[in-house]
Amino acid sequence: MEFVIVSYPARRPVYVDGDLSGYTNEVLQMDAGTHKFTLGPPEDCDPVFCEVMVKGTNVLLPMKIAFIRKW
Amino acid sequence: MGSRLRTYLAALAAALLLIGCGSFQVNPPLARYDPSSGYRFEKLEQGSNSDKLFVILVFSGGGTRASALSYGVLEALRDTQIQWENRKMSLLEEVDVISSISGGSFPAAYYALYGLQIFDEFPNRFLYRPIQSELIDATLTPAGLLKLGGGSFGRSDLAAEFYDREVFGAGTYAEVIARGRRPFVILNATDMTTGTQFPFIQDQFDLLCSDLSGISLGRAAAASSAYPGGLTPLTFQNYAGKCGYHQPEWVDRAVRDHKSRINIRRAARAENRLSYTDTGHNPRKYVHLTDGGVADNIGLREPLTAINSLNNSWSVLRLINQKKVDKLVVIVVNAGTNPTTSRDQTPEVPGLVDTLTAAAVVPLGNYSFDTLELLRQTVNEFNESMRLVSGCKELAASKGPQCELDIPVPHQIEFFPIEVAFEYIEAADERNWFKNLPTTLELPRETVDKLRMVGQQILNEDPEFKRLMEALHGCTALAGQRC
Repeated sequence: MEFVIVSYPARRPVYVDGDLSGYTNEVLQMDAGTHKFTLGPPEDCDPVFCEVMVKGTNVLLPMKIAFIRKW
Repeated sequence: MGSRLRTYLAALAAALLLIGCGSFQVNPPLARYDPSSGYRFEKLEQGSNSDKLFVILVFSGGGTRASALSYGVLEALRDTQIQWENRKMSLLEEVDVISSISGGSFPAAYYALYGLQIFDEFPNRFLYRPIQSELIDATLTPAGLLKLGGGSFGRSDLAAEFYDREVFGAGTYAEVIARGRRPFVILNATDMTTGTQFPFIQDQFDLLCSDLSGISLGRAAAASSAYPGGLTPLTFQNYAGKCGYHQPEWVDRAVRDHKSRINIRRAARAENRLSYTDTGHNPRKYVHLTDGGVADNIGLREPLTAINSLNNSWSVLRLINQKKVDKLVVIVVNAGTNPTTSRDQTPEVPGLVDTLTAAAVVPLGNYSFDTLELLRQTVNEFNESMRLVSGCKELAASKGPQCELDIPVPHQIEFFPIEVAFEYIEAADERNWFKNLPTTLELPRETVDKLRMVGQQILNEDPEFKRLMEALHGCTALAGQRC
């Protein structure tokens, strides 16, 4: 099992590979491999999406994926 | 030539003309791919069934032995009262998913079609009937023999017709969809070519551009229980490329990951999906399905993928990440046996049949063992992460309040892995008796009743089930408690 925190200044739904899979700023569990991360609307985040290979994490050291507000 | 023989031959010729050689019942094409319709987990109404308590039942293969054992567990769940979200209810009402193989697919399919009517009808419609003899009789009729003359119609096609007529009342997935409520029942067969599980859900039939709603539960159960040798595989037409279907996003990424060996299991699932939709040099025009037990005789692999992966059409992990699940219960009803043999009483070289049987059965048993181990590993993995975090916090705090750690943690669930299997029967004589029951589609009524009872008994004695009962303030009729 892999662990990821998708950070964003506000609470937003996190879509992993197109499916709602949790919320920003929380630890999400997922299977290893390349995943595409996008945030729910409005589309004010940068980047628009993030494609990342998730591997080698553990619960104490989750991978951090940062989205920032565009405006 | 005697007049009786002439009459018989004339009747046979007439039957041939009327019936012709049989051809398999063609699965309907899907006009247009629509992820918002069809038999899908997310389309089912939850009603009062809460995701917070997520219950998965797994029914293994094993002929009528497995059907009766699974049915006994359904009875036990019906009779188990729990307190949940300020309501007193039957644990059966909280079942979200049933995954089944072969013999276990008969009660699963019946419950999918008829719900609680199963408790009034299923024993007489299936469990107490000499299904095997009736199937042989149906095969040996002139009509049966004529149908079997065709190359695309096998004994399992006849069995499917029999199940439709005699067991499931010709019910189709359209009726299951119309019921529209949980549990999501997944009957599993095996794709002969890929050797992988083939679940009867729309997500799988999308790959074939075929509409599951037009398929009968009898045919699905026949595919799931097409015991190799005794019963033939079933043929399904593949219309891939004709309904505008596109693979889920993760498939392409998983295939690209294959070279890096990051998650071979995920890559293999992706490549398996692509094998149906590939319209290149060697497209799969047909898919041949055999007994679900060939790929996984427990029926647990599909639920394990749903628990461990986000990339599954009914991912439980997605629900966990959304904090929708607090308690995850997996009840495995495993009717596996271990018949006693006299092989080791003599120095004689075992015969060909004995050797081939061992070659077929031993890997199946070993794989089932590993499948159950995977469930235990999954539970350990979920628990381990929490143990690690609390250990770190404790260690840091022991250095003084200034060292206290604030470690963000994933949503924690309580996991209850429950196994109903003959090996947990305490009395050796009784245990051996059950472990020597044959795999057949007919058992004496008394044996069926014993299986029903023992299913309830083992469930109630399972330590994890007891823990669940404590957590849910539950009580069971078998324990003589008043609920």
